Amino acid sequence: MTNGTQPMTDQTAPAVEVRNLSKHYGDFVALKNVNVTIAAGEYFVLLGPSGGGKTTLLRTIGGFHKPTKGEILLHGKSVGHLPPDKRPTTMVFQAYALFPHMTVTQNVGYGLKVAGLPKDQIVEKVDYALEQVGLSQFTHRKPHELSGGQQQRVQLARAIVLDRDILLLDEPLAALDAQLRKDMCLELKHLQEKVGITFIHVTHNQEEAMTVADRIALIANGDLVEFGKARDIYRAPEKSFTASFVGENNMLKGRVAEANGSSVTVDVAGSKLTVDKRGLNVTDGQEVNLSIRSECVALDRVNGTNAPADGLSILGTYDESVYLGLTTSHMARLPDGTEMVSRVISDTDDTLPEANAPVRLSWKPGDIRLHVE
Amino acid sequence: MADLSSSAGGAVPAGTDKTPWRERLAPWAFRAPLIFMVAFFAIPMAMTVVFSVFERTMFWMEPGFTLFSYENFFFSARLTNFLNSMKYSLISVAICFVFGFPIAVFVRKSIPEVAQHRVVLLFILPFMVSEIIRVFALRPVLQRNGLVNTTLMDLGIIDEPITALLYTHTGVVIGEVLSFLPFIVFSGFLAMEAVPKYIFEVCDDLGVGPWRRFVDVILPLAAPGIFAGSVFIFVNGLGVALLPNILGGAGAVNAGLIATQAITALDFPLAMAVSAIMMATLTTLLWIGHKLFDLTKILTPLS
Repeated sequence: MTNGTQPMTDQTAPAVEVRNLSKHYGDFVALKNVNVTIAAGEYFVLLGPSGGGKTTLLRTIGGFHKPTKGEILLHGKSVGHLPPDKRPTTMVFQAYALFPHMTVTQNVGYGLKVAGLPKDQIVEKVDYALEQVGLSQFTHRKPHELSGGQQQRVQLARAIVLDRDILLLDEPLAALDAQLRKDMCLELKHLQEKVGITFIHVTHNQEEAMTVADRIALIANGDLVEFGKARDIYRAPEKSFTASFVGENNMLKGRVAEANGSSVTVDVAGSKLTVDKRGLNVTDGQEVNLSIRSECVALDRVNGTNAPADGLSILGTYDESVYLGLTTSHMARLPDGTEMVSRVISDTDDTLPEANAPVRLSWKPGDIRLHVE
Repeated sequence: MADLSSSAGGAVPAGTDKTPWRERLAPWAFRAPLIFMVAFFAIPMAMTVVFSVFERTMFWMEPGFTLFSYENFFFSARLTNFLNSMKYSLISVAICFVFGFPIAVFVRKSIPEVAQHRVVLLFILPFMVSEIIRVFALRPVLQRNGLVNTTLMDLGIIDEPITALLYTHTGVVIGEVLSFLPFIVFSGFLAMEAVPKYIFEVCDDLGVGPWRRFVDVILPLAAPGIFAGSVFIFVNGLGVALLPNILGGAGAVNAGLIATQAITALDFPLAMAVSAIMMATLTTLLWIGHKLFDLTKILTPLS
């Protein structure tokens, strides 16, 4: 997986190691004590809301910002003092990053020209890089004669032609329209598999993150909240922020009624719900959050007698439904005013419960998760 | 359009009279700039050329055709003076560029976006003082026992006052640089708009040094704007009579002052000829510039 042509790099060390990294702008804290390790050859995504600090982290890795505290190791070597061009990293920007007066070939070859490579080598490398991104047909175009997607490919070619082994992508698809973004996502993934170098990709788009990532790190308010494989982040979020940001989770607030053994009973809007303790520290009376993905919630009409007492269901009143094509979202309101969503793949023309009709929302034992922070 | 408005007018009986009136007037609003340019620009320019070949009379001129004024210009010290003023205007442009363009780049690169326009506005402040006063105020600074000379002598850098600072070409150039520097800052600032947002970071990433960055990236992108600013300074260096009038001396004149002097001598055809020659020179210059840099780019925002 790793790039074997780089003799300078320590193959056993991770590509990126961020240790206790903080970045302050005056009083504003952009990053607080971030620790993360990214393996060589990994496609790593920094996902989070705008202004959360993910771009700051990426740029600090790239050498565009100096850390306030902490250090960054690339292939096991501290790079705190090195400028961007002396690091094994290179950056792809959102947009507006091509030389408008140069052709595609000149744009891609400029870095090599600056580095003083002989002309014939530049031509060879540029041709190869353009072939990798599928732009061999457009070598003589100027950036303004290219589409947004093609412009981003030129940036990719300009980055990979440098033979550095960590590619940083700062919202590389944000300026593209939805369909093109989907296509480019897959292409990015395939490109990374082809060239085998480490990709670190910043985005606020969940679908984009899940398409490309080997692992995802969630970053919000300057904190690295949680990281893991896309599947784990989606199915088993540790933190309530992750649950609220990734997927479509129902977030329930409640108070611990009883914590015994491996499970906890939580009082939510008058119902007692049972949830796996997951080894977390909880005490009686503590305020906690519960999350359940909307597609795991089943919604049934209540016919008077089937009042829930199993700890895996809750009563509410029906609100409305939203038809989304593939899925339909049914909204119900709990007695305390919280809204819950049940999302189902169904296209039946069955009659829906009337507004304000009593409904029962239920789920399977493993689907509900406890969050204490 | 016509159908729609006439039917609408028909629906409102009282308005039937007024609508066609306004309708007919509206296109003239778009023609107004053209009319203005023809009346106050093209016609006077044409008249300048026409008057330059008229016969001189005692106090005015009379219709006729003679190239005497042109002869008078080209075969006298006036031509040398004119060419000299072109030379010194070019020097002023160069100095303005060296000082002003880095300021523009600095403002674009290093000042937060929200504050950029305010900083540029600061360069307008000098224009709040009348130009005559501004230029005149240079005399006590540059003269024999002026501020510059006394300071340099007090510091022991020179033994005798530098007399070349005033009533010479040097004086005029100093005045021009101080008067016109803001224009290269403005045009440079606008020209930097053609430089994409992340380009400097890309340069950092590729390891492009400051000199290469300037020659390979900034200069080609900002060229149309820089040229426009330079032309503006050159034109003013050539045409504004005030500066050599106050700061210049024997031989240190420009085209504007030559024309003014001709008018003072009541030689109107000569004044017109000087103006026509200046116009021709500058038009040629603009044409060359346009061929080289496509000046329409200055006004085209980056897509």
